[in-house]
Amino acid sequence: MRRRSNRELWFSFFAIVGITILYLFVVVTLGSVPAASEFFGHSLGIIGFLLMVMTETLYSLRKRARRRTWGKMSTWLEFHIFTGLVGPYMVLLHTSWKFNGLAGIVMLMTAIIVASGFIGRYIYTAIPRTADGAEMEAAQVQQAVAAVEAELQQWLEAQPEATRAFGQRITQELAPVRADDAWAAVIGRAFADLGYRLQWWAETRKANAATKAKLRELDALLKRQRTLRRQVQSLAMARRMLALWHAVHIPIGMALFTAAIIHISAAIYYATLLK
Amino acid sequence: MRQRTLGCLTPAGLAGMVVTLIVVAALGALRGGVLFSPGELSQLSKPGVTLGGVQSHADLAGQCSACHASPLSRDTMDVRCTDCHTNIGQQLTDASTLHGALYASGNGGLTCRACHTEHNGPDAALTVMSPQTFPHEVVGFSLQAHAQMPTGRAFTCADCHGEDITAFDKAVCETCHRDLDTAFVQGHTLEFGHDCLACHDGVETYGKQFDHNAVAFPLEGKHAQSACASCHKGARRIDDFRSLGVECADCHLKDDAHNGEFGANCAVCHTPANWEDATFDHNLTNFPLEGKHAEAECESCHQNGQFQGLETACEACHLKDDAHDGKFGTACGTCHTPADWDQATFDHSLTNFPLEGKHAHLECQSCHQEGTFQGLETACEACHLKDDAHNGEFGAECGACHTPADWDQATFDHSQSGFPLDGAHARVDCKQCHASGYQGTSSQCVSCHADPPFHAGAFGDDCASCHDTRAWSPARFTLSHPQPAVGEGGNGIRHGNTTCRTCHPSTVRQYTCLACHSDNQGGEGGGDD
Repeated sequence: MRRRSNRELWFSFFAIVGITILYLFVVVTLGSVPAASEFFGHSLGIIGFLLMVMTETLYSLRKRARRRTWGKMSTWLEFHIFTGLVGPYMVLLHTSWKFNGLAGIVMLMTAIIVASGFIGRYIYTAIPRTADGAEMEAAQVQQAVAAVEAELQQWLEAQPEATRAFGQRITQELAPVRADDAWAAVIGRAFADLGYRLQWWAETRKANAATKAKLRELDALLKRQRTLRRQVQSLAMARRMLALWHAVHIPIGMALFTAAIIHISAAIYYATLLK
Repeated sequence: MRQRTLGCLTPAGLAGMVVTLIVVAALGALRGGVLFSPGELSQLSKPGVTLGGVQSHADLAGQCSACHASPLSRDTMDVRCTDCHTNIGQQLTDASTLHGALYASGNGGLTCRACHTEHNGPDAALTVMSPQTFPHEVVGFSLQAHAQMPTGRAFTCADCHGEDITAFDKAVCETCHRDLDTAFVQGHTLEFGHDCLACHDGVETYGKQFDHNAVAFPLEGKHAQSACASCHKGARRIDDFRSLGVECADCHLKDDAHNGEFGANCAVCHTPANWEDATFDHNLTNFPLEGKHAEAECESCHQNGQFQGLETACEACHLKDDAHDGKFGTACGTCHTPADWDQATFDHSLTNFPLEGKHAHLECQSCHQEGTFQGLETACEACHLKDDAHNGEFGAECGACHTPADWDQATFDHSQSGFPLDGAHARVDCKQCHASGYQGTSSQCVSCHADPPFHAGAFGDDCASCHDTRAWSPARFTLSHPQPAVGEGGNGIRHGNTTCRTCHPSTVRQYTCLACHSDNQGGEGGGDD
């Protein structure tokens, strides 16, 4: 399984901070919010829309590429996320905070599609994947579960003291999951993980430094084991949810771009070409 | 399994696109162009005033083409504006109006919407201007120097215009600037009046940045140090400054000490460096200054401030210096030069008496006594009469013997007389013959040569029969001898190698033979003739 670093989110964050600083500088310089029709506002809209178009097209094309598979899927996904966050933010600044008519509808749909993107990303990460981002099949996941359980067993035998001290916790972790909780496993996994983290922190916070170092190894093994077992449990559900998300996200995206192109055409007709 | 179809081409994607198109088309059909409006139109209106059939722009909501002319048509939005706002349309043709000035300044490029915005809401102002963006210079005053108040706050329209931006109280300039520099503004307004805009255009064209050197009259020397009002006295408008002439006389006429005699081009002599230190190039006149003329004070010639019309003839100034009492006339330059009046030189060769020899070295007064330079006789005796050692015997033609080279070295050509000198005569001193004078001197030999006792009067006055001029002696006896010479037929004096005195030892009237012949030879031994 690949290790996720969320670097695309950091890049997006810094880009958004930089754009915000530039925007504020222009606001202070002009003494007012830059109008959508003026140079700066217009530039924000054009660049933001191009980033959104890239969001919509590049990753999809890469996913469908058979021969020219340039770059890793995970990298394209990171770029997809980056442009999907920064582009809409620039379009938001382009509006000059007026959301009238079709332009307002386009902005609303942009916000929806971004939110939808976050949801899709959340569902997407519930599906186990290889290091290059390709989906793993159920059998592959089962093998991974078996491997991590064997590794965990070895670790417990090698650390009888830890086993005794955290036996209850380990027993809970190793308990079989409920098969009917697949939906909750996909949607509520973030909250479940948060609950586990809080409990783990409460139980281990008084341990000495040497014990904490060993417990970190145990925690990592337990986390992997927990995640894999959950993915085994929810794989089918996650795939169904992801398909459902696609069914909703794609029409909204198409509606957004259709509306955006109409908006752009109208702006060119009524403003850019205005004599 | 990989999905091969792009999302946008899936039925769901295409459905999203189609639905959106349908919705937009439906909204457009129902509400016109409202869907594309970036904001609500203004509801501002004047009670009872209807333009183009509407009371406010809001009445045109959805009718985009009422203002937005099609890019494919020849119309412009300005045309659409003035179709309703006809009074503004009239102003655009008059550059003296605000709109006309703005329109004219933009060379047609300045549009209504540059200042008048819309779609900002029903209550938003339709005119949006700020001192920072409004092209204020087109109304004759740039805001370039009025970006910030002295406090650092940005200028607002109201700072100068108050409530009505179309009005301006001229006193506002003075009121604000008096607070900044009271002394300057007080003096400045005293000199140039209170209508600041009559000269100032906001970009300091005629203020601190004004470069006098860029106009037709660069400031140099003392001009650069002078107060503006010293030349532009009483100027009240920029045209007053511009209309000031650039000729010296336009300002310096009152300083003309020449009473206009030198005309208006003072710069011929005066420079901006210092009015007093004038320099005049006299060489530009018909009387270039040379020698001591160049050193003389102007007033020594130009008395009583008279500089024009002066005579250039020498006597106009030098009459009083004429030591000749006018005898040489007025052509002083014949002898005198500007180098030194006293060092006069006269070319006597130009007269009918060129000076040669010792004449050339004489003091003028030795001939021109008592200041008489004209009418002098050129005959020698006019001066040399007193030197005539001949007592007038040779007449007045001194030059016959004397030359200017030396009076005493006189030469007389005796061949021109009745007695050409040759032989020993040519070598004797004149006085030997002319002991008692030169005229009437006898050319007879005996007048100079007395008959010697030896002749004893035997030969008469015809000395030349025996003597010639080569030498008095020896003489050749050419007369018939009474005693024939022995052996020679008795006729002639050839008697051996004897001389006269061999036979005539005392006089020719006495002879002796015995000096040679002894008595035993017979004959007479001597006797008288």
